[in-house]
Amino acid sequence: MAVAHLDLAADPQARARGWLRRPDFVLYFLWGMFWLLMLAVGVQDYARSGGTRYWQPILWESTSLVMATFWVVLQRRVDRRYAVYLDRPLLWIGHHVKWLPLVVLTFIPIVFGVRHGVYALLGLTYTHESWPYVLFYESIKLLMFTGLWMGLIFGFDAFARSQEQQQRLLALQKSLAEAQLAHLKAQLRPHFFFNALNTISALMQVDVPRADRLLSRLADLLRATLQWGDQEITSLREEIRTLELYAQIMQERFADRVTLTWQVDSAALAGSIPALLLQPLLENAFKHGVERSRDAVRIEIEGHREGDRLRMAIRNTGSTLASSGSEGVGLRNCRERLTVLYGEAGKLQLTQLTDAVEASVTLPWQEHCA
Amino acid sequence: MMRVLVADDEAPARGKLQRWLSEQGDIQVVAESEDGLSAAESIERLRPDVVFLDIQMPGLSGLEVAAQLEQETAPLIVFVTAFDEHAIKAFELNAIDYLLKPYDKDRLLKTLSRIRARPADGSTRAAVATARAQTQSRDRLLVPVGETLQLIDSSTIEWLEAADNYVNVHTSSRSYILRRTLHDLLEQLGDQQFVRIHKSAAVNIASVKAFTPLFKGDYEVQLRTGKILRLSRRYRDVLFGRMGR
Repeated sequence: MAVAHLDLAADPQARARGWLRRPDFVLYFLWGMFWLLMLAVGVQDYARSGGTRYWQPILWESTSLVMATFWVVLQRRVDRRYAVYLDRPLLWIGHHVKWLPLVVLTFIPIVFGVRHGVYALLGLTYTHESWPYVLFYESIKLLMFTGLWMGLIFGFDAFARSQEQQQRLLALQKSLAEAQLAHLKAQLRPHFFFNALNTISALMQVDVPRADRLLSRLADLLRATLQWGDQEITSLREEIRTLELYAQIMQERFADRVTLTWQVDSAALAGSIPALLLQPLLENAFKHGVERSRDAVRIEIEGHREGDRLRMAIRNTGSTLASSGSEGVGLRNCRERLTVLYGEAGKLQLTQLTDAVEASVTLPWQEHCA
Repeated sequence: MMRVLVADDEAPARGKLQRWLSEQGDIQVVAESEDGLSAAESIERLRPDVVFLDIQMPGLSGLEVAAQLEQETAPLIVFVTAFDEHAIKAFELNAIDYLLKPYDKDRLLKTLSRIRARPADGSTRAAVATARAQTQSRDRLLVPVGETLQLIDSSTIEWLEAADNYVNVHTSSRSYILRRTLHDLLEQLGDQQFVRIHKSAAVNIASVKAFTPLFKGDYEVQLRTGKILRLSRRYRDVLFGRMGR
């Protein structure tokens, strides 16, 4: 849950829960019950051995309780730091055990110090076994005690984390499925498809080889679309190839009205990118720029590696950014995929330039291995 | 000889249609247009018998072009589209000619023989009416400015004045002369915004400032611009009703 707390920061419910999260609530409840039990056992034991001053066992147990609670609360507040090790229990326990000497060294002197102090205030003397024995005996007790509770806490945190991971996975799958469906619809956008077929039908009358080329390009594009989903991440090289297929078909239709410029660094081609992420951006450039403008439109496609980031930009003249209104399915999906895959590090930005609209995507650089 | 205009923004699509039409002995392709506005201008200038209007075009769509035509004088319209569910449904419903891309030669020949068989059976009226219903033709009006056409916002129109076989469209800044009937213009613009005040004039309700009663139930209508028009008693009740008086 520790990690979930960070990731679900946008979720108002998660934020409202604050630091007292639900699993913690259950944990603290168990903690309370455990100490009630300890107290009951302590008092009973004291009574059986013939004691009559009942405040004594209560004092002993409550000093331990206060000190132990201090450590547990501290653990809950800083456990986020170790949450990354929840997948590797030994490392997680190791990181906790390293604090054990400090726990022992603070626990025994403070607890016994308080007991001595209270006794002294009442004009009594707190008697116990010799110090070496106390140190040895209490250390063993603390070790067992810590082992028990660390196990419990680990169980709680690991369970919460697995639940949170499962939720993330479900969200990822859902948005992926939606993106896939929307993409299929968009790609098979009947307008695009039938118009492309009509172009082929027209070319066929005058230039059979060219019509043939266009037909196989349309087939390749269709194939890339249908294969999508088998492979979530692809290389920029692959992605650009698919973009080119689309662009070639559109250029055949609007030859006299559009000029395309590709400026993709060869160093950037090896980077990985979610498959068909840029497709809707290029489609928009054609849809809003070329198809709605009477003048010749310029489309520029750029790709650069900027240090540890990959930046892609698609610019088109001939249209202006709508100041209001909702984004289309294509843009929304692109944004969602970036968020799901890269969180804050993945960005889609729309910018109005002096004579063009730019859609740019930034994501963490990662070499693509096939 | 049938004079035909082809409007499509994609060159290959125009080429295909042009080629097949030219093979017909009785057809002459008089012009090709690459966008809606120039299609409307060509229709206005060349008055073809038939237009093939692609629906998806920049500027004005094919439907928007058809919506701005006068029902009585418009050419026969054949809509061409790759995919337009709503429009296609409406075409089916009103028996309007259309071609679905990609179409083959047989399909085009069928359309042509249907056109030859019926010179004027009201299908043009239906095509224009359907196009008006499919578009926001009430809000925009195509008006001539010199040699070209231009769209104006119909809310800027103050009043319409019929004269002979044309209509003067008066806005606050200038007037335009349209070769259309007042009746057809009012049908396009709808009776929500424009109401007749006498046989040859209509006002934009929003630009009316005041009424002054005259004799025999006639009124004087004062527009916001100061222009004074006469309201004949025949149209008085409709206008008052519309203005909530």
